[in-house]
Amino acid sequence: MTRRQPPIPQPFPPQRREEEIFPRTNWQSLLGKAVLYFLLTILLILFMVPVYGAIVTAFKSQAEVAAGGYWTPPSSLATENFARVMDPEDGNLGLYLQNSLLLTIPASILSIALGTLAGYALGKYRFRFDGFLFIFLVAGMFLPPQIALIPVFRLMNDIGLYDTLYAVIIIHTAFGIPICTLVMRNFFQVVPNALREAALIDGANEYSIFFRIMLPLTLPALAVLATLQFTWIWNDFLWPFILTQKADSRTIMVGILNLTGQYTVDWGGQAAASLIGSLPTLFIFVFFQRYFITGLTLGAVKG
Amino acid sequence: MLRRHPWIIPASFLVLPLLVYFTFVIVPTLNSLYYSFTNWVGYGSDFDFVGFANFEKIFTDRLFSNAIKNTAIWLALAMTAPTLLGLALALALQGKRTINTLYKSLFYLPICLSPIIIGIIWVWLYSPKLGIVNIFLRGVGLDQLATAWLANPNTALFAVFVAWAWQQTGLNMVIFLAGLTSVPTPLVEAAKVDGANYWQTLFKVIIPMLRPATVVVLALTAISALKSFEIIWVMTMGGPFNKSDTLAVFMYSESFRKFKMGYGSSAAVVLFVLTLVIIVLYFRFAAAAEELYD
Repeated sequence: MTRRQPPIPQPFPPQRREEEIFPRTNWQSLLGKAVLYFLLTILLILFMVPVYGAIVTAFKSQAEVAAGGYWTPPSSLATENFARVMDPEDGNLGLYLQNSLLLTIPASILSIALGTLAGYALGKYRFRFDGFLFIFLVAGMFLPPQIALIPVFRLMNDIGLYDTLYAVIIIHTAFGIPICTLVMRNFFQVVPNALREAALIDGANEYSIFFRIMLPLTLPALAVLATLQFTWIWNDFLWPFILTQKADSRTIMVGILNLTGQYTVDWGGQAAASLIGSLPTLFIFVFFQRYFITGLTLGAVKG
Repeated sequence: MLRRHPWIIPASFLVLPLLVYFTFVIVPTLNSLYYSFTNWVGYGSDFDFVGFANFEKIFTDRLFSNAIKNTAIWLALAMTAPTLLGLALALALQGKRTINTLYKSLFYLPICLSPIIIGIIWVWLYSPKLGIVNIFLRGVGLDQLATAWLANPNTALFAVFVAWAWQQTGLNMVIFLAGLTSVPTPLVEAAKVDGANYWQTLFKVIIPMLRPATVVVLALTAISALKSFEIIWVMTMGGPFNKSDTLAVFMYSESFRKFKMGYGSSAAVVLFVLTLVIIVLYFRFAAAAEELYD
């Protein structure tokens, strides 16, 4: 059965040094190398223009922006844009940041917890229909959210959760189960069975094996999923856009898009809001890049 | 070997995740199929079963065929440009030299940004008077090329696509880099000993070995291209004159702007079927790719 499965990358491939595999030919000659890195640098500069634009605009005073220079470095570091977007009377991003945290943290934890349970059952036990259940649970990863949009909108209205963060938490938990199950199942498959069997012989029951022995081992897989789920849920716009309405339950991405309507010509405000909204995921990118990248190669579907 | 276990233990682990997944993913998906056969308008529970009327209507809807056309263009661009650029970057930056590590990090930085924020930033870049794209074009004397990129019906879809590709390229690079680590070094060295030059090694050895990674990249790109909504919504809302209106945008505007939920559901079903086709193709090719190297 496993032979028929697509080559889903394994979560923790045998650690191989990332070595250069190319033969040393003309590219490796000094001239070739110079040309290659020259081209790469040009491309990188082009790639970084949007990021540069956001940063310089955010730190520029409104007066300076009005005077023209959008793409020049700011003459002094102004923080007025940040103050304006965070002001509860104005941009009110503080509230939206808080809402996004109240959504992202529980939804990440819940989806990972449920995925761990399912992944453990599918990775460590053999039972009837286990192969089918695995495909069934993981297939959700490929579903376009659009297919569930209208029924979920209606369901949340019917059960009275429309326009609350709970609705978004539930949906992100449910839609996170496939990727979390996949990663955890692949992880548990490579945990030696001897560990479990030794504990069984010592008289431990199945649940204490799971909680006392298996869970502590999953830390690296949990880190991978935590970075991935946090980034994905934090950045998501479609679900909170559909499921919430009033400011009290507005998430950061919906809030930022609303602001661009309010600040049509205020690029400084938009840039400051964009930077603030990106800070948590940039933090993950800088400090947990290794986990994040591992997760991406596994569950790139979410990108 | 694992023994057969009483099913009660795995079932106790599975019951909660299955219940949540079934209730909030599977049931809504099936419900969507049901709504696509109704004329529900988004409020109340008064609606009729209309059979295939929505589908008959949708396939004669000029806006729908326009959305299909735009989706096809979007898909064709998505499968080529970011894939080739991602592959080229992975090949150029493979290895752990400090400069490569730094460049790789910067090229995949856009992955951690929200499509909303990417859209907002690119709207300034394309601004007709103040955007850097036009400032640059005027600066190098190409004034006639400067245009209102997002308001010009001929350029809107492509302009949004470039912003989308800005993020997708880094993602593809990451997957190709992962694929490159599984190319066996001895194989490449053997080619070198046999006298193959750089390009021969690249096209005859390395790229064929990247086939599984390429299948993954193409499938994932196609799926994410089909469902991409946010970035188009932020930048053009599907305009001007529906020129950047893809299936995902069409589905949203019919359902949540015009409140034709039944009709919108049938658009969602079409989107779903297209995704399904890609998934089936993916599993086919993935299985074939696997057999090739077994």
